[in-house]
Amino acid sequence: MNTNENKTEKVNDSHLMNDAQLMVEAQIANHIVDLLDHRVQQLTPVEVRRLSTARSLAVSQLTSLQTQAVSHHGVNQSGHVLQWFGNHVGQHKIMSSILVVVAMLLALFVVQQFSFKHNLENSDAFLLASDLPPEAYADKGFNAWLDSN
Amino acid sequence: MATPKELSDFLIAVERRAFKQTAYAVRDDHTALDIVQDSMMKLATKYGNNPVTEFPMLFQRILQNTMRDYWRRQKVRNLWTTLLSSFGGSSDGGDERDPLDTIDVEDDSDEPSTQLARSQTIILIERALEKLPARQREAFVLRYWEDMDVAETASIMGCSDGSVKTHCSRAVRALATELKKQGLDKLGLSGDMVNNRGSKG
Repeated sequence: MNTNENKTEKVNDSHLMNDAQLMVEAQIANHIVDLLDHRVQQLTPVEVRRLSTARSLAVSQLTSLQTQAVSHHGVNQSGHVLQWFGNHVGQHKIMSSILVVVAMLLALFVVQQFSFKHNLENSDAFLLASDLPPEAYADKGFNAWLDSN
Repeated sequence: MATPKELSDFLIAVERRAFKQTAYAVRDDHTALDIVQDSMMKLATKYGNNPVTEFPMLFQRILQNTMRDYWRRQKVRNLWTTLLSSFGGSSDGGDERDPLDTIDVEDDSDEPSTQLARSQTIILIERALEKLPARQREAFVLRYWEDMDVAETASIMGCSDGSVKTHCSRAVRALATELKKQGLDKLGLSGDMVNNRGSKG
């Protein structure tokens, strides 16, 4: 029982010590910080000017970014598709290149389809306009006669 | 989303402290100004759309990371310099920076003697801060100068709350010891305070 009480007392003591320690630390730190704050007010004019320039640059950067964002939003709403597409291409390069490749393949497919149909029409016209009747080309004997001649 | 005016007000509030904090870390005023400018630009470019309430944490994190990048670059540069200097002969002497050269003691609000005592104390503190290990200095500055709580400091430093407390405690102890060596009465702290502090360590 006594040992338990002793342990509790020791724990309480250590807590008190820690609190006191923290208070002392905070006090010292606050004194140091007061002096540092005082020091900060004594920068040279050159340093103050450099900081002011840096701040102006950062603020103008934010202003231009926000203006761009607003105009981008406005374009989308007013439906200027080409400009939107331009911005979109800039932002999503991979997606845009995939889109271009798909469009090219589609165009190739359409052109091939068209030319195949055109060839078919041409061969039909040739058969109908030739001196020989179309049945002659289906006759195997005619082919053999052509080969022999 | 923060407005340019809000960003400007925020930067006005923090820029001087950020500059001195960086100068203590990198020990070069021009480099410190460059780092602060980089950090301001990064904040505006990448986090300009965040609410202004998030700026203190974000700015401190950016500043610390930019400092780390600088140190990394310096490390690589020093390596090359060391390698090349072994071929090239004498170096240019490594002139050590004396804080006395850069301290500007303009203050007409006090008596000259008080003013002198205070600027001497500030010089001592700045030297002591520069001597601190980087992590301790970072913890001290964030926790006490930037007035952040332990959790925020831990988040910026990328460590646990316990580590922050340890770093802060060691930093204050080191500063107090250093200042005691130099004559503490100039700081305006009672002797008991530091003796007490010293005996606990």
